[in-house]
Amino acid sequence: MTGAAPARARRRFRLGPVERRNLRWGLFFISPWLFGFFALSIFPILYTFYLSLTRYSGIRDPVFIGLANYQRVTTDPLFWKSAYNTLYYTLLAVPVGVVVAMLLAIAMNQKVREVHVYRAILYLPSILPIFAISLIFIYMLNPAYGLVNGLLHLAGLPSPNWLGDPAWSKISLVMIAQLGAGQWALVFLAGLRGIPIELYESAEIDGAGPWTKFRRITLPLMTPVILYDIIIGLSLGLQIFTQVFILTGGGGGRGGGAGPDNSLLTYVFYLYKQAFQFGQMGYAAALSAIMFVISLILAGAVFRWARGWVFYQAEEA
Amino acid sequence: MSGSFKRSPFVFSIATVLVLAACSGTPSAASPGAASASAPPAASESAAASGAEGSAVTGASCQAGAAEVKFWTSHTPPDSDALKNIVDAFNTANPTTCVKMTIVPGSETDVAKLLTAIRGGAAPDIYMADRFTVPQRAAEGVLDDITAETQDVSSSYLDFAWAETQYQGKTYALPFDTDARALWYNKDLIQKAGEDPAQLDISKGAVTIDTVVKIADKVTTKDSSGNYDVMGWIPGGPGPGGNPGAFDQGWHYTWGFAYGGKFADTAACKVTPTDPGVVAGFQFLYDWAKNHDPAAVSRWVSSNFPTPQMPAQQNPLWTGKLAMTISGDWRIAEQAKYAASGNYGFTYIPIPKAGDESATWAGGWSMALIPDSKVRDQAIAFMKYIAGPDGQKVYTKESTHLPTLKDLQGDASLYDAQHKTFLDLLSVAHSRPPLSVGAAYWDALTTAQGSVESNSKQPADALKEAEDSVQPQMQC
Repeated sequence: MTGAAPARARRRFRLGPVERRNLRWGLFFISPWLFGFFALSIFPILYTFYLSLTRYSGIRDPVFIGLANYQRVTTDPLFWKSAYNTLYYTLLAVPVGVVVAMLLAIAMNQKVREVHVYRAILYLPSILPIFAISLIFIYMLNPAYGLVNGLLHLAGLPSPNWLGDPAWSKISLVMIAQLGAGQWALVFLAGLRGIPIELYESAEIDGAGPWTKFRRITLPLMTPVILYDIIIGLSLGLQIFTQVFILTGGGGGRGGGAGPDNSLLTYVFYLYKQAFQFGQMGYAAALSAIMFVISLILAGAVFRWARGWVFYQAEEA
Repeated sequence: MSGSFKRSPFVFSIATVLVLAACSGTPSAASPGAASASAPPAASESAAASGAEGSAVTGASCQAGAAEVKFWTSHTPPDSDALKNIVDAFNTANPTTCVKMTIVPGSETDVAKLLTAIRGGAAPDIYMADRFTVPQRAAEGVLDDITAETQDVSSSYLDFAWAETQYQGKTYALPFDTDARALWYNKDLIQKAGEDPAQLDISKGAVTIDTVVKIADKVTTKDSSGNYDVMGWIPGGPGPGGNPGAFDQGWHYTWGFAYGGKFADTAACKVTPTDPGVVAGFQFLYDWAKNHDPAAVSRWVSSNFPTPQMPAQQNPLWTGKLAMTISGDWRIAEQAKYAASGNYGFTYIPIPKAGDESATWAGGWSMALIPDSKVRDQAIAFMKYIAGPDGQKVYTKESTHLPTLKDLQGDASLYDAQHKTFLDLLSVAHSRPPLSVGAAYWDALTTAQGSVESNSKQPADALKEAEDSVQPQMQC
């Protein structure tokens, strides 16, 4: 087998006339996607790297200033603050999101007659526009008049100043994010339903209880879906913007800063402020470039870490 | 494997919610695990404010063939109503020009929509810009040079207002309105607390900060849970929702000026937030917060000012939850509308110690031309109209802001007694230094104010941080 593989690989690159024609047509057919990919993804990424070496307001021509923007990052306290806020949020929101989505999916998978109604109810919050959710949460989390603190008060629990206290503001964001968990629960549900029923039947014959079945069968076979959730969640968590923009009233002028003690100043929000409030498009590009590299490193690290715990049925077969 | 996915009720339920989502007209929040990132909301504030985002509110009855001048403002009612009246009057008097005014909500320092519109070739011709941001936008190339066309009116405006429209010796906007700040107070609440509101009467001159704090602390009450219910006074912030800054006008500039501070040395191209006067102003905010429990104050503000877009009629000053606040002349019109039966007064911003001179500051807006306007002449004609006597007279009367035209300062027909008092304050008012980093400086000072008011940083440290973040961006 080891000797045949390189020979096969060599043969693969020697295309015959039919294969060449197929390749041409193939490229032709995917050319709209190729154009979009290069023009709208690759070019902007490369251009961002170029802009990060300039002073640029977005209107006048960029002025090349070398690595000055990157040097500025190292001494910018708000860069560190926003990076901390974003990592804090992401590292909290992603695992919580996985657990909530898994619980919802398990609830959606119950063998009860009205399960379709429950599925729709659990999925419903995910379709709300994030703008509406954020605005509603401002009122629901009002420390004195909000619904959440009203319920906590009835239960005799302390009522935090959710959005006005730096200790609670990011936790509030994580709570808001869970309203979107229904969408992700559908993916989990599809994963759950892909687990062969025979495995559970065999386990039951062997005397396994519900917890053992979940831990020994469900969880291992769901790990590819969980990994997918973590990767996408990580990517979206690092880019969190809309909610904080709305919760802080835009973070400029009358809106003031970005949460108490800037605790809601997330990385992309800070990048946006530099670009569109302070006219520092070059500096914002440098922040983007750094974010790009950090995201790559994090994604790579997660994939590496996942090798130890993700279980692919195909490999076992 | 069960086939319950084939069951039609589930499919129907999902189809129903998807249709509902489509009807909402906004992309859904696809939030796997963490929340999704998407573009900033196009109409975030319009829902609360105008509902007019994206469509012109004037020009419907313009004659065919009239040159169209696009005019953007972020103002919302009641101020935008006054603007609309001015535009309508201009369109009637100038049938060959059709000014279409669009309300594009957003904060004073956020030009994301404007930048995008310029780059996308859909820019307005005229943009109503907060005047202290004009030098910054001029430096960025967002505004056009109108020096040649406006030389004839340069001496008509108040000096500070004109200075704010200049960048590197050129003119980039025409001043529109201005304002002044004072201490507003609710006489009934003060009376109820056993204090005589007459001691704050403006005829008696400025009172000390200690006096105001003493009266305020008597007014302040707590509920059964120990949280603030009615507040006597909050000199600064936090801002709406507990954000850094001020929920009304107790800004960094207010207290920096009150303590004799200087915020910039324009000749040396330097911002000077660590000036002793500014630090002293911040020290007052720090000490006041410490004595009143920053967390408890933040809780009260978050409860009563949850968002900057809160409707004006819910302002705690009008609902009886706040006895005193630093605010401006525009509250005169607001009070008439939302608290007409209330018993309010206003006086000078309190002074650090007896004998000091009270300080206030003036802001205001301006009319700026966007580069490459295809109707430049008509646009400038409209700018001169709205920022000239015709426009400013209407705006002064209807919005109770103040005019920037020197000639209108003495026009008694424009002011009632209350309004006239604010006009008198204008003669001694400070203004924010016109800087190429105006918006960034405001933001950095706001961050510093937030840190100081939450007692998480000492004033000098917070202000040094503001200096370090803004100074490298300065261009002179």
